[in-house]
Amino acid sequence: MLEAINLSRTFTSDKVDYEVLKAVNLEIKQGECVAIMGKSGSGKSTLMHLLACLDEPTSGSVVFEGSDFTTLSEGQKNRLRNEKFGFVFQQFFLNGRETVFENVALPMRIRGASGKRLNENSMESLQAVGLDDKAKKSAKDLSGGEKQRVCIARALVGKPQVIFADEPTGNLDSKTGETVENLLLQMNKDLGITLIIVTHDEDLANKCERIIEIKDGRIISGN
Amino acid sequence: MKIWDLIRIANRNLLRSKLRTFLTVMAIFVGSFTLTLTNGIGDGLRDYVETQVKNIEGDSALFVRKKFPREDEQNARIGEPEEYKEIKEDEQGNRIDPNSIVVSLDQINSLAKEFPEVKKATPAYRMRAEYIALADSDKKFKVSLGMLSEGLKQKLEAGKMFDGKNQIILPLYLAEGFDEKVENLVGKTAKIGYKTEESDEIQIKELKIAGVATKGMISNLNAFVDAETAKGLYTAQRGESRDYNRFTNFTFLLNSSDEKTMEKVKNKLEEKGFTAMSYADIEKRTYDGIGILQTGLNLFALIALLAASFGIINTLIIAVMERTKDIGLQKALGMGRGKIFMLFSMESILIGFWGALLGIVIGIACGLVANAYLASTYLESFEGYNLFVFTPLSIIFIMLLVCTVAFLAGVMPAFRASRLNPIEALRYE
Repeated sequence: MLEAINLSRTFTSDKVDYEVLKAVNLEIKQGECVAIMGKSGSGKSTLMHLLACLDEPTSGSVVFEGSDFTTLSEGQKNRLRNEKFGFVFQQFFLNGRETVFENVALPMRIRGASGKRLNENSMESLQAVGLDDKAKKSAKDLSGGEKQRVCIARALVGKPQVIFADEPTGNLDSKTGETVENLLLQMNKDLGITLIIVTHDEDLANKCERIIEIKDGRIISGN
Repeated sequence: MKIWDLIRIANRNLLRSKLRTFLTVMAIFVGSFTLTLTNGIGDGLRDYVETQVKNIEGDSALFVRKKFPREDEQNARIGEPEEYKEIKEDEQGNRIDPNSIVVSLDQINSLAKEFPEVKKATPAYRMRAEYIALADSDKKFKVSLGMLSEGLKQKLEAGKMFDGKNQIILPLYLAEGFDEKVENLVGKTAKIGYKTEESDEIQIKELKIAGVATKGMISNLNAFVDAETAKGLYTAQRGESRDYNRFTNFTFLLNSSDEKTMEKVKNKLEEKGFTAMSYADIEKRTYDGIGILQTGLNLFALIALLAASFGIINTLIIAVMERTKDIGLQKALGMGRGKIFMLFSMESILIGFWGALLGIVIGIACGLVANAYLASTYLESFEGYNLFVFTPLSIIFIMLLVCTVAFLAGVMPAFRASRLNPIEALRYE
């Protein structure tokens, strides 16, 4: 379903090229739960950005459900990320001035969904993470674990096929981290959403069906 | 994203830092407040002139005078000697003095004959009256007499335009001097006392009061008689004088008020060394003058607006920096460049909108208070003149202008925001 073909990414800074990804080939199937593991600087985040259509490769391509990202227009890419993908970030990126509900509803607002659809989906995904009673609360008044659950609700709201989670437990203590992990894995099992977790946490990686280990821009195992 | 969502989110973003937004709005407020008042002054003048000038109507009359000797010379310099031109005779045997704008009655008549479009040519007869009185009263007032040639109509408070000789239309202030109820005067006889060139003895001319004029620029000053009566008085007063039947201007009444005909006659007169204006031209010239004045005043307000727009740019640049992560997230979640641009543009337009609204409302309030105060003090003698006039059209114009200026100020920051790379934006510290 999601395939990387000869994927390379080079960053240039001060006229020096850094090849962060080196001709990576990878295929992820529908409904899989994949952990991308590696040390910092290994290129795992860059790989995720490329797979999530947030960045453009220097060479090679990413194909999602038969469509090559390099052939898509800016608008098509935006729609793809909005409709097919969900994102969970380490630093949450919640808007503390808005309510929990508004934070969750953001992808639906960007999509331009009708008021009814927007309400239903948002409340539904808040229910899924068990925070429907805090919908009216301001996002800044939540605990860290609750914040990350709101982020999961936000990732779920558009009914995506793939959820990308970038160090989802990196900012949480082990106990709340586990709740968040379980929640993500449950979404994968119950809803069949493909889950791609970028992490350097071995415990979390071990809970996934498949671990792709990456080092110095190359996949060293799991392919 | 829906437009309503954009407005709502933009508004909420502005409220994030209330003080900063407030200060930026205040800068715009100063600009639009000034613009509201300066534009109001222009509209006030236009409004006043409209009621005053439009008092007299005459679509098919042209006011003609001979051109000044150097009128056609572009950039004729003061201080340069002017050549003396010899007096000549034209084909009709009229003596023509190229150094003077005075024309004789014969010249006027022979000029008129060259135009089949001219129905009647009337010289501007000048009269001097000593006083006016009613036949049945002793009250005497000073009066200045004017002539309304055929084809010209004066707006009236009472009565009707003259329909024959020996009738007069009184200005309102004079009529009120005779009788508070001016309609009582219509049909009564007025006596004009005047002197001739030869003697100091006062002669009397009896005229029937046909009507009372509505207030106006010229009708505030003059009592009007028709051309026939004017000619009679003129002849009685000036018949023996050296410059009898010599005039500096005259009226051509055309047999059509069609614009093309008017233009044709005007152009032909121009070629013959005369200059002609219709009432519409006079009005236009006045309005043009007001327009220039208004633009000049508005320029000051626009400078204030320009300064304020730098405030908007500044505010938005800071907002873009503060919200870099938000923008990164929105882009990651699929918000397009156009929408990000619109979001920030909406914020600058909203700043403009609130500033304009505040400026217009407070500007109008101040203007109306000033009008009320001035009407009872400095402008008491200019009845019907309001220093500030606010028309819906001007208000809409100011609103649109300020919002446009605000939008333009927001273009650069909004463009910056729209160009942010989502990954870098999310990493921004």
